[in-house]
Amino acid sequence: MTPAIFPSRRAWRGLGLLLAACTLAVRLPAASPAPSADVEAGRKLFRDLCSNCHGHEGAGAMAPSLQRPRLTYAPDEATLRVVIADGIGGRGMPRVRRWSEKELRELVAYVQWLGAVPATPLPGDPAKGREVFNRVGCATCHVVNGQGGTLGPELTAIGRMRGPDYLREAIVNPGATLPKGTLPVPGRGYDEYLPVVAVTRAGKEIKGVRLNEDLMTIQIRDEQSQFHSLRKSELTRLDKLTGTSLMPNLSAQLAPGELDHLIAYLASLQGQP
Amino acid sequence: MSTLRLLFLAVLAAVLPVSAQVTADRIRHADREPQNWLTYAGNYQSHRHSALTQINRQNVAGLKTAWVYQIRQPGIIETSPLVADGIMYLTEPPSTVTAIDVRSGRAIWSYTPTIPRDIIIIGSPQVNRGVALLDGLVYVGTVSGHLIALDAVNGTVRWDVTVEDNRKAYYLTLAPLALDGKIIVGVSGAEAGIRGFVDAYDAKTGRRLWRTFSVPGPGEPGNETWGGDSWKTGGGSTWLTGSYDPELNLLYWTTGNPGPDWNGDVRPGDNLYTCSVLALDPATGKLKWHFQFTPHDTHDWDATETVVLFDATINGRPRKLLTQTNRNAFYYVLDRVTGEFLSATQYAKQTWAQGIDAKGRPILVPGQDPTSDGKLAYPDVQGASNWPSPSYSPQTGLFYQAAREMGTIYFKGEAEYVPGRAFMGGGARILTGDDSYGAIRALEATTGKLKWEHKLLSAGWTSLLSTAGGLVFGGTEEGNFLALDAETGKLLWDTQLGGAVRGIPISFAVDGKQYVAISAGYALFVFGL
Repeated sequence: MTPAIFPSRRAWRGLGLLLAACTLAVRLPAASPAPSADVEAGRKLFRDLCSNCHGHEGAGAMAPSLQRPRLTYAPDEATLRVVIADGIGGRGMPRVRRWSEKELRELVAYVQWLGAVPATPLPGDPAKGREVFNRVGCATCHVVNGQGGTLGPELTAIGRMRGPDYLREAIVNPGATLPKGTLPVPGRGYDEYLPVVAVTRAGKEIKGVRLNEDLMTIQIRDEQSQFHSLRKSELTRLDKLTGTSLMPNLSAQLAPGELDHLIAYLASLQGQP
Repeated sequence: MSTLRLLFLAVLAAVLPVSAQVTADRIRHADREPQNWLTYAGNYQSHRHSALTQINRQNVAGLKTAWVYQIRQPGIIETSPLVADGIMYLTEPPSTVTAIDVRSGRAIWSYTPTIPRDIIIIGSPQVNRGVALLDGLVYVGTVSGHLIALDAVNGTVRWDVTVEDNRKAYYLTLAPLALDGKIIVGVSGAEAGIRGFVDAYDAKTGRRLWRTFSVPGPGEPGNETWGGDSWKTGGGSTWLTGSYDPELNLLYWTTGNPGPDWNGDVRPGDNLYTCSVLALDPATGKLKWHFQFTPHDTHDWDATETVVLFDATINGRPRKLLTQTNRNAFYYVLDRVTGEFLSATQYAKQTWAQGIDAKGRPILVPGQDPTSDGKLAYPDVQGASNWPSPSYSPQTGLFYQAAREMGTIYFKGEAEYVPGRAFMGGGARILTGDDSYGAIRALEATTGKLKWEHKLLSAGWTSLLSTAGGLVFGGTEEGNFLALDAETGKLLWDTQLGGAVRGIPISFAVDGKQYVAISAGYALFVFGL
């Protein structure tokens, strides 16, 4: 039989991102405590089965960075064990599979080691990043602390949920970083905010993001935040624009150094206290 | 009235139950009473086909909900209900049995066994796939490793035996199979290094009649296919209900993956009888023949999928056949008298075999085994098929199955055996979501050739039911429940049930009205015209 389901991203894109993450890696073994045998064994397990979401060396990707001394859902060793063993219900963290006692010990050791390493300071300035955020109009589509538009995902706690490498990729190549189904809607493993184009029999074209889908129907929010419920048999065309995003590539609008500032600002968004 | 006469009437009442009992003879001839659903897959041949025709191609568009039964504790419903003489026997996760009046949808009794809080379930969710009925008793396997017989009248426990110790990770999710005077079960637990077996119990008393291990011990044929002591933790779970040929008097039981799952280095050899079908003498449990689908499996491709029995002419010769859509992505046709391999046809994407040779052994593509860095291979770790029931229609000669089109990155790691702990030797990352899809496929049953397919959004867990009304019923992970034309696959009716369809569909009739039952989310839905 088979262990629990593990979320994943598009195979090659995922591997590509993993490689990209490796080259961008900011891990700093120089300042860290010497890894024990358990840490090394845990690192191997983590690389195979956890890094897809938590990023290379736990730097954060789709799932939060673990390079922090205090984890939101696993503030102490006992909770960390439970989280690794069973996942976190309703938060997208699955029970990856049943671990042996030894594997569980190794993973706990590795994640604790990640947390003990001082975080690398980011090169940008969050205050300047906030100005960039406002200037290029990010708030048109994104809510931060209750203010902003509704087309894209809320960013109030994005710094806690995503690592800096992921944030960088999301700004310069948004289509490559659509969040992968950690929510009940549209479901585990599915692209969230996937751009779609639907054309009805009457010839009406609807472009927006997929909210949900089943075999017979699709639910779309268009660029004006209007909701559309469509039955597939009533459509003449339904294109899923996989690998793209409604978010523009912002790099052309950024002066040198501004990308770092913007990342630093996003990384500073840790949610409302 | 005289005392003697009263006594006579009292004895008569005790001897003659209110409703007729389900005898082995009735199950053997289940096709004669299509208003009932007397055994897991509808008949011993595992056709999951209903001969009822009231709901058919012409009128299925008018199908409506008759009633809904909500389970009381959230969990995944992977069960096939049984229906006998107006009463439905439904299992609720993890191991509850509820008897329901099919006219009203109201429960008439429910039994929940005591399940210790610290039970060891490694390898699956806490599910149950149904009960067996025989001679006034209802049989259920539990996730704590027990087999329990309940009185069909009120759910009282008649006997309760431990099949095997749950502290060593043995547990039961399958529907037991009732033969004449015997209850047959298998076990789950190969992700924890168990040694699998098939058991037969006396239906009246619960006494164990025989046990046949799926992994042979020292001195037994097949033990030489395990390097060193690896047979001791060899896995080979027997976790899904088998099929039975009453005329040949042969019981067909299937086996799961070897342990540890993804690291084959520690168990050199073919690892008999994992990933196999076993033909057993039901009187003794003696092995008559075996066929291994995936020798030395390293991808967790259990061969536990339901085996379907039917007779057909192949190359001008009448044959008694056994067929299966195996988790490894091939459809196998065997002679069920001898176990002779007849053909294997790929029915879903796979990257591991160049083909299957004349003896039925796969010709491997080199380099498809799990590696330390991860190796992408197809089908996925949960297989191109799995526990969901297929259906065979004698009317169309088609084998219906919901294929899972998905890949997995397979990792090899170390495995250390500790009783009652995970023993897998690596990991697997499945490529879900938009990267995968499913399809309800109709295969020519004698050849495996694709007749039609109806694509699904995702690779799900739907079982299928075919009916003599020319229909195939199935569902989706997204909650759709569908009726397709059995000849063409064309969609004729659909509805949204609000939860993943993982229950196993059946059809039955009461008071002259046909119904179709399916579980989705946390409820059982019953539809009629």
